[in-house]
Amino acid sequence: MEREMILEVTNLDICFQLRGKVLHAIRDVSMELYQGEILAIVGESGSGKSVFTKSFMGLLDKNGYVAGGSIVYFGGEEKEVDLTAISRERDWRSIRGHEIAMIMQDPMTSLNPLKTIGSQIMEAVLLHQKVGRMEAIKRTLKYLEDVGIQEPEKRFEQYPHEFSGGMRQRVVIAIAIACNPKILVCDEPTTALDVTIQAQILDLLKELRHKYNLSVILITHDLGVVANIADRVAVMYAGDIVEIGTSEEIFYDPKHPYTWALLSSLPQAGQKGSDLFSIPGTPPSLYVDIKGDAFANRNPQALKIDFVKRPPYFQVSPTHKAKTWLLDKRAPKVTLPPIVEKIRKGGLF
Amino acid sequence: MVNYLAKRIARSFLTLAVILTVVFCLLRFMPIEGYFQNFDKMTPQQIQVGLKEMGMTDPLPAQILRFFNDLFHGDLGVSRIYRANVSVTEILADKVPVSIKLGLWSMVISLVIGLPLGAVMARYQYRWPDRLGTLFIVCIQAVPAAVYYLYLQLYGTSLLDVGLLFKMEDPKYWLLPVFSMSLGNIAFYGMWLRRYMVDESNRDYVKLAKAKGLSEGEIMFKHIFRNAFVPLVQYIPTAFLNTVIGSIYIESLYSIPGMGGLLVMVIKKHDNAMVQGIVLLYACVGVLGLLLGDILMVMLDPRISLGRKEGDR
Repeated sequence: MEREMILEVTNLDICFQLRGKVLHAIRDVSMELYQGEILAIVGESGSGKSVFTKSFMGLLDKNGYVAGGSIVYFGGEEKEVDLTAISRERDWRSIRGHEIAMIMQDPMTSLNPLKTIGSQIMEAVLLHQKVGRMEAIKRTLKYLEDVGIQEPEKRFEQYPHEFSGGMRQRVVIAIAIACNPKILVCDEPTTALDVTIQAQILDLLKELRHKYNLSVILITHDLGVVANIADRVAVMYAGDIVEIGTSEEIFYDPKHPYTWALLSSLPQAGQKGSDLFSIPGTPPSLYVDIKGDAFANRNPQALKIDFVKRPPYFQVSPTHKAKTWLLDKRAPKVTLPPIVEKIRKGGLF
Repeated sequence: MVNYLAKRIARSFLTLAVILTVVFCLLRFMPIEGYFQNFDKMTPQQIQVGLKEMGMTDPLPAQILRFFNDLFHGDLGVSRIYRANVSVTEILADKVPVSIKLGLWSMVISLVIGLPLGAVMARYQYRWPDRLGTLFIVCIQAVPAAVYYLYLQLYGTSLLDVGLLFKMEDPKYWLLPVFSMSLGNIAFYGMWLRRYMVDESNRDYVKLAKAKGLSEGEIMFKHIFRNAFVPLVQYIPTAFLNTVIGSIYIESLYSIPGMGGLLVMVIKKHDNAMVQGIVLLYACVGVLGLLLGDILMVMLDPRISLGRKEGDR
């Protein structure tokens, strides 16, 4: 699978200055994004998914900063740009929207309530595509149609409060598309929507990806969503990508104990009448240096070394790697959790 | 919308009628001295005759009806004490335009200075423009207006080389009173606009606008400012009207022949017809201010629709 790389993150560290303390939100993360793929980043709340992707656009909160590593973008006019080297707001504006666009979680609040839908999409068109007003209106109508909004002429003039949640998310997507980006970051795009609408929005994303040749980063904590749409999956825990691979590999051949735990907590996997599985304990504090494997103290099958030394990536296949000592040659054999075993045999998806 | 407005205006008139009736009735309980210039020297018979001539001995409902009837014909009665036997409308017609002109200019100045002040403070939150603006606002709000009015007059008149006495024809003479009157509203607009803009700038749609690639300035102006202005806009008519009727101190300081202070004076003198006339004016002004504020809100905020819901969503 030789594909063009569009974004390469290497050893990225992101810290936040919080009340005199330093919070190490992203710890030495590396990741590649390829042209035209949908990469899902999954992980629990606070694992750093959003912060990670925000750093691609210079949208970190004021007290956050990149402490090390690089984010190289290959899609622009120049051959490669290291996004971590950008410091001025003005330089970020050539990246934001133009190269990387973002869809946010809550469509109810991410549109300006006092501006018409049309003008909000058109704003993006005028900003990023060098066209006149009439052409911009025409394109805006087309984007509205592309995201599945009927009667675009009528809808153009309407305000956000006249749209339902699902429709608004479509509009937000239209705005992102109208920026004409190469990468689309979707930060939990379906979390605030009900299930039927979720499916529609995901289908829309899949469709648009081909139509506009987008590379999509999809942040979610819903594994159902991931299974539905993603080409590759990165599992994030405590500011680190602990396992990354194709969807099949992550679902049918997971290697990291945290991935196992995540899959075991799927409601679909639960037995009727028995409690749903939940991962014991809490994620480690990111204020202090984490020794060894961050997941060790919640992992019943943790090895001694997990508490001492941070595992490196072990390559499972050319596309699949995981950070766990269990993959070391010297590691003892462990039994997979029953649900993971069940999925493996094709029981669930 | 039209429907709603018609209803709203009708209700405004009803409000006015109620206010006038109540005030009218209350005024009938006032001492009767105010109807005669030389009350002390009159005999009870003379007073009775005088009252009868004025129709004061008629039953109350009849008097009210007559009052409204006169009102429809533009007659507010005659002043007895303030300026004997001059009609109230004539007295007010002299004074009202001066106050309105003063109020209008003051509103323009306070908007032109106050809104940019608030916007700049919000844009540079917690940096020196914000701190400086806050200092100004706190001073204006904390120091009694009379103090800085006095200083403004003291130093302003010599600085501008104008006399202490007001000259209506010379624009230079308008500067100080108008500016003094604006200060309070400048602080008001500055403070609230800053607050609303800071609120707005933390909203998700601002983050999306930023992610879209808009510059900070564009976001401030195209998105935040307008949205923050909406909650403020409904106060503008009322603030304007308050300056028109509340300029007592300024007008007396610069001896401007406006209507500030007139109400208090005529109440003291028991000049009932004048009281009634001025109350009518203020009531109109208050009701109109509320109405205008609501209409402005509707014009700026599409989420608010007057009248019934259209039911498509």
